[in-house]
Amino acid sequence: MTADAIPLLELRGITKRFPGVLALDDVSLTLHAGEVHMLMGENGAGKSTLMKVLCGAYTADAGQILADGQPVRVRHAADARALGVAVIFQEYSLVPHLSIAHNIFLGREPLNRLGLIDQARMHAQARAVLARLNLDLDTQREVQGLGVAQQQMVEIAKALSQNARVLVLDEPTAALSDRETQRLFEVIGELRRQGVAMVYISHRMDEVFSLGDRVTVLRDGKYVATLRAGDATPDELVTLMVGRKVDMSYHRGERPAPGECLLEVRGVSAVNGIRDVSLKVHAGEIVGLSGLVGSGRTEVARAIFGADKLTAGEVRFAGQPLRSSPTHARQLGLGLIPESRKQQGLALMRTVCDNLLLAGLKRLFPSNLYQPGRGHAEGRRRIAQLRIATPGPRTPVQSLSGGNQQKVVIGKWLVAGTRLFIFDEPTRGIDVGAKEEIFRQIDELVRQGCAVLMISSELGEVVRVCDRAYVMKERALAGELGRDQLTEANLLKLAMHHG
Amino acid sequence: MVETMNSVASGARARLGAASGAAWLLVGLCAVFSVLAPGFLSGANLVNVLLQATILLLLALPMTLIILTEGLDLSMGAVLSLCTVVLAVVQIDSGSIVLGLAAALAVAIAFGLFNGLLVAAFDLPPFVVTLGTLGAAQGLALVAAEGRTTMGVAEGLRWFWEGGWLGLPVPLWLAALTWAVIHVLLYHTRFGARVFALGGNREALRFGGITVKWSLLWVYALGGVCVGLASLLLTARLNGGHPTAAIGLEFDAIAAVAVGGTAFERGKGGLTGTVLGVLAVGVMRNGLNLMSMPSSVQVAAVGVVVIIALWIDAARGRA
Amino acid sequence: MNTLAQKPGLALPHLSPEQRAVLLRLAVLGLLGLALSLAAPAFLTTGNLLNVLRQASLMFLLASGLTLVILCGGLDLSIGANVALSACLAATAIKGTGSIVLGCAVGAGCGLCIGLLNGLMVTALRIPPFIATYGMLWILHGVTYWYMNGETVHGFPPEFRMLGSGYLAAVPVPVYLMLGVLLAGTVLTQYTTWGQEIYATGANTEAAALSGVPVHARRLAVYALSGLMAGLASLVFLARLNSAEGDMGESLTLQAIAAVLIGGTSLFGGTGTLVGTLIGALILTVVLNGMNQLGISANWQPFITGVIVILSVLSDALTRKRHGS
Repeated sequence: MTADAIPLLELRGITKRFPGVLALDDVSLTLHAGEVHMLMGENGAGKSTLMKVLCGAYTADAGQILADGQPVRVRHAADARALGVAVIFQEYSLVPHLSIAHNIFLGREPLNRLGLIDQARMHAQARAVLARLNLDLDTQREVQGLGVAQQQMVEIAKALSQNARVLVLDEPTAALSDRETQRLFEVIGELRRQGVAMVYISHRMDEVFSLGDRVTVLRDGKYVATLRAGDATPDELVTLMVGRKVDMSYHRGERPAPGECLLEVRGVSAVNGIRDVSLKVHAGEIVGLSGLVGSGRTEVARAIFGADKLTAGEVRFAGQPLRSSPTHARQLGLGLIPESRKQQGLALMRTVCDNLLLAGLKRLFPSNLYQPGRGHAEGRRRIAQLRIATPGPRTPVQSLSGGNQQKVVIGKWLVAGTRLFIFDEPTRGIDVGAKEEIFRQIDELVRQGCAVLMISSELGEVVRVCDRAYVMKERALAGELGRDQLTEANLLKLAMHHG
Repeated sequence: MVETMNSVASGARARLGAASGAAWLLVGLCAVFSVLAPGFLSGANLVNVLLQATILLLLALPMTLIILTEGLDLSMGAVLSLCTVVLAVVQIDSGSIVLGLAAALAVAIAFGLFNGLLVAAFDLPPFVVTLGTLGAAQGLALVAAEGRTTMGVAEGLRWFWEGGWLGLPVPLWLAALTWAVIHVLLYHTRFGARVFALGGNREALRFGGITVKWSLLWVYALGGVCVGLASLLLTARLNGGHPTAAIGLEFDAIAAVAVGGTAFERGKGGLTGTVLGVLAVGVMRNGLNLMSMPSSVQVAAVGVVVIIALWIDAARGRA
Repeated sequence: MNTLAQKPGLALPHLSPEQRAVLLRLAVLGLLGLALSLAAPAFLTTGNLLNVLRQASLMFLLASGLTLVILCGGLDLSIGANVALSACLAATAIKGTGSIVLGCAVGAGCGLCIGLLNGLMVTALRIPPFIATYGMLWILHGVTYWYMNGETVHGFPPEFRMLGSGYLAAVPVPVYLMLGVLLAGTVLTQYTTWGQEIYATGANTEAAALSGVPVHARRLAVYALSGLMAGLASLVFLARLNSAEGDMGESLTLQAIAAVLIGGTSLFGGTGTLVGTLIGALILTVVLNGMNQLGISANWQPFITGVIVILSVLSDALTRKRHGS
């Protein structure tokens, strides 16, 4: 690889705006043939957005894309494919009950003179592509029966069969075992020799340094730096990824000393994959649960709340053992504000009032007789208390803004008399002003003696808001940070492979 | 050439594996009935079972594709009945078999396209759409038969059920031909791949766009064509048309497909299983018939078998 | 869409979307009635109108349970066959023992058991509702035919027949039953916490479960209720027809679904009311009755019902798209 050659692909000054958010701000990236280019940054830094612009899923608002030095337009996926760009997503787009060969050529199956699929040619070409990856799989096998690692290989083969010159790999080793990771690295090495350029998004330091030629760091949608892997150190990279101006209006005031232990999780493993997780939350505390996407944080929340069954360990609330049932969890005083509020937190077609009352019905109406008058009064009370911006309690919750919808979800648990709130990404998809509001609400909760367990991907949030934090890594607990050690750098270090 | 044969054979082996449940069921049923049902194993009876199964096969084959796309067509039985009436009436009135067949095919295809349009273009749930079409077709069948002669079709038409060619009954030829065509469509064309993708992972087709919707339409339209062909056989067999001739046959077809290993979600299954499933359902009805069990018990038995098959599928899916 | 916007020049009182939907359907009913009374003079007679009320009440009894199931996000295709089996069992019980009470208990009990079986298939066995109840439909069909063995049971005590064909204060008895069910059902759906949970489960099952609603228990309950209502409706049908045979109630399922859909209950769950279903039943009955009055062959009825079902589903889906869900 010669550094002076014309880059295979170049992104120049890419800017992308979404309503209320500047996702990419003048970001540039160059790729050379046969290079493995690492793309790093925390959750929300803009890595995925940049790749989506590259593969035609989004169109940039400003900036240029150049292929082999010539400016090109990438407006659809087809344009990107014509350029030879292919993305290997984390959710594979394979059809489970078709063969490997068929999946590789889906939509482009070779036809014979009769217009039917030329099975022999398809399987032969499939074998040839797999051979490029040094793979010897039976192309007749249904994709359904393959392991995750092999499915990933099929995805890569699919990309190669479309003459991909640039491969984007988004956290490819997230679901792989060590041996499978090795195998993938061998394949990457082989592709490198064949002149394929690769953009590799990763949080694993050991991968960055063992595989990468160059590293580009993004932060808050901005381009920070590009370094040669050989010239950088892990600490340097962490520093570049983290660290921002702090000018938020919310300030953590004095908090009461932590009270009784409300939540005790001991050695919990669950069907969703988490292993041997233990943590404690006391009344009056905001405890953070940090970690990379996919590290198992939501799974911990679901296991605690009873949404997923435990396979080992136990959960106790105020000393009482919790059964694996959200109904029981609610009864005892837990509440879950899920990650995806539209799909899991709210019934969009129902009114604000209906949603507010749902978890608290038993508490408000012990006789099971629902009185609309009382219900609406309670609804109005909570709307005022949480300052929810809505024309009235009978508005369909669908028409509220993201921030106000989130308040409705919080309000739901307030009505239920919750004492411990589990927040899963409470400020996702909410604009800056509303975020501060949410933090104030959370603060208010603990001042009243409640407890909060907060999952957040934004390290800055965790540091500003939480008293202490646990960090998850690959579905197990990586460690705990007390108030004094709670910094973004420490959180990130615990969350990543630090090699 | 050898490579093609190898590929095809290997694919076939894979599919047979998936349909093994139906194979075992068929063997089991045959064993049970050879003991319990007098005359089950006689040559004449077995030929009869095969013969009766041809009409069901014509319905079950396209139903397999429809179910593979996570859909369902409840209207097939009613449309089939309507088509027998149309075929008989047109044939008797005009004297022309070709005209009658053309009319029946036109009606069947129209219903197929209508179903497909509503499901593909408007994203309506297939079971409710086809439930509505069922009612519509049933009503039309009753109306069409009112005050008209529907019995006594031409000899030439009856040949399609009673006649033979090269020693085998014509219905078997028709069924085999239909099976061959649909087999090629499903396993050897891009259309077939899209059928699997529509059920298994629509995301995989994300760059296909409009083609995806059209494929769904054609799947239901194909059902229409097959129902038209089935009406030919059924009219020939009954020597005329009848508005309630095939009511409930779609249930047998769905049962055959389900028993044959095709699931209602995720695009799993295939034609081999359906063929075995059709034979299994046919054997079950025939055996119970020979044991003098009324049709009602037969239907209930088929229902129970379907529920069990679904339960096993659901349990295995979650395992 | 701002529901509070007042059009200039029009002084309409503010109505909720549900109230507007009901008004719209009442208007449709009114227009239909008007058109029919002009086209067919025999329509507007007292006798015919009472007949329409009776028919609609019967349809409503059956469709009320179905409404609950659909509200909760499910579907029950087996209700027609449920009515048949329950009626036949009740008929033979009454004939055999002479006791009306026992017959009614048998009929209602049969319906309830079927409902519970449906509910168990959906919640415990995780079989998709449309195929579970569809399979159940055929099983019931078969059992009913086998049980009746081609025979008909007829001739029931006049006290029993009152239930279906009698009058009380010049109003058909089924109307009182309909009112009773409407009242009880409306209280259940609008004025109990249970009802609120049903709506929530239908609107978003996952969110309801994560809010602590015991989703499986609720779904089992609505299927059981649907079965029970089918059982009760079967008694009224039996009383009205004064005979029971294997193939009764074939068209009932489609008509019940049509009534529920016309009434504005969405097939996708979470919205709808029993009042809506009642109006839907009235509209459908008026249409079918009108066809009779106009001399249109009864054979067109399944066709019209099927078309109505398709149009309702289409309208439902398009409305949902418009509101961006």
